Amino acid sequence: MTSVLAFCTATVTSIPRSALEVVAAARSLAQQLGGVSAQALLLGARVEQQAYALIQHGADEVFLVDHPSLASLEDEVALGVAEYVVRQMTPQVVLFPHDDLAGGHVAPRLAYRLKAGIVTDCTGFAVQDHEIRWLRPVYGGKAMAYFRAQGPIQVATVRSRAFEPLPADPSRRGEVRPVDINPETFLPTVRAVERVETAEVEEGPSLDRAEIIVSGGRGMGSAEGFQVLHDLARVLGAAVGGSRPAADMGWVPHSHLVGQTGKIVAPKLYIAVGISGATQHMAGAGSSKTIVAINKDPDAPIFKLAHIGVVSEWEKVIPPLIQIFREMRSQG
Amino acid sequence: MHIVVCIKQIIDPEVPFHLFRIDPVTKTQIRGSHPLVISLYDEVAVEVAIQAKEKFGGRVTVITIGTKEAVQALHQALAMGADAAVLLSDPAFEGVDSFGKARILAAALRKIGSFDLVLCGRQAGDVEMGLVGPFLAEELGIPCATLVSNVVSGNGKIRLKRPTETGYEVLEAPLPCLATITNDETNVPRYASVKGIRAAMRVPIPTWSAADLGLDLARSQEERRIEIDEMWIPQREIRCELISGESAEERARNLALRLRELGLI
Repeated sequence: MTSVLAFCTATVTSIPRSALEVVAAARSLAQQLGGVSAQALLLGARVEQQAYALIQHGADEVFLVDHPSLASLEDEVALGVAEYVVRQMTPQVVLFPHDDLAGGHVAPRLAYRLKAGIVTDCTGFAVQDHEIRWLRPVYGGKAMAYFRAQGPIQVATVRSRAFEPLPADPSRRGEVRPVDINPETFLPTVRAVERVETAEVEEGPSLDRAEIIVSGGRGMGSAEGFQVLHDLARVLGAAVGGSRPAADMGWVPHSHLVGQTGKIVAPKLYIAVGISGATQHMAGAGSSKTIVAINKDPDAPIFKLAHIGVVSEWEKVIPPLIQIFREMRSQG
Repeated sequence: MHIVVCIKQIIDPEVPFHLFRIDPVTKTQIRGSHPLVISLYDEVAVEVAIQAKEKFGGRVTVITIGTKEAVQALHQALAMGADAAVLLSDPAFEGVDSFGKARILAAALRKIGSFDLVLCGRQAGDVEMGLVGPFLAEELGIPCATLVSNVVSGNGKIRLKRPTETGYEVLEAPLPCLATITNDETNVPRYASVKGIRAAMRVPIPTWSAADLGLDLARSQEERRIEIDEMWIPQREIRCELISGESAEERARNLALRLRELGLI
């Protein structure tokens, strides 16, 4: 029986949401192809428990590569392990999360080595007569396209949040098969020789996980202006993001840049302050469920893209808004 | 150190939504009167290369696959501070997929002969697949560092800075190697100076065809593994609900109440 294989990583304490998403995508694709099993390949150190969790979350079978050296995963080691397992198991499709490790490195190089058609950053797929068409945005989200991947094996990476993890079902049963391979046989040519933590320990949720994001642009005028957005974020339990001009001017760290050249986010509520609505920014923020724009320029393009708009200088709206949210909080 | 940067010229991605058109037959964006620019991350890669040259010495060559119009992108890179440029142009190059592009670029690099570092933007600003860089490293059989933002040391083994969620890592790689480039606060592309623009116009730019590269692309055309089946522009029917109020304070209050009513806060 052929299979769809989901590439997953985990740590001893947790499974990233992206792993559960890619397993959910594999399950859905396997069902639509019919007669195909959903397998997972799990890499990590002391992650056997997590392998069983992947079964509860939708995998039929898990190939486990559990080794102390995988506590910190080098790109080329992950590539070596993935290539070994895929060549052994010959799945029909290999799915990866579209993150820095897999989307940026492992999936493209694996596809090249297998001469496999590959489509990255997919947000969905359609199956007809056992043929898969991969859905993804192109041109910064201004258009959508269906792609076809040719080859004996297809490789795809799936965008974060495009698939909902399946709830854990403790009654699901499946095999966990340890893979007989020592990851240390893959000697990376490129190695991390230093890791530096620069960001202060941040309060509040990360951009990827936040339900609410408060984001600022050129209109904030200065790093001090951004401080007000941090105050607003704190009272809402939100994460803070910024547009490219704001990041290039150093008002927010580049890791908080939302846009075509930064993070692609999809929170429940996105509050854009002093942001004109350049397409580069909306490529990152456009999938938010509700977008609120606060801008003093009634002709700013953002008002054509936002669901709710406030035409005002942010200096006059945000401070009272913080006060009102505080009152609402204290009243429950 | 000889750094080769692979760039792509694209239609300015800042074309607003209402002027964006696609050709449903070719499944590509219609150029119209929109300007052509260097793809965002590729321009960042040019900046990274020039910074490395300034810090560690050496020279920078820029190459691109395109039509005659792509000379404009090469001129821009030269004006920013690159030393040489080559246009890879042939009707046979049109419509090849990322596998084919990696073959063309690899052939050009072999013809260039000696290089230490190859830089590619992490993904193009149009279709955004992010495949050509890693494919090219595989095609050349050289080490591949992905999503790095700068060169921090260039003697013997190279050290590259890679931004992470909470800071950065320093990667060490042997030379020659390929790196895909992402952006951070250290590599915002510079503007070309007037002097640089004048000097760029005097640099001869050779054009290399498939024959010059000794490439038979019939195989690449037959073996296309990535194809666009269908492309469309999704309807955006957003009607922005403007929050009313006499004063900014009143608008703030009405906004808060509306958000609570919608269950968003």
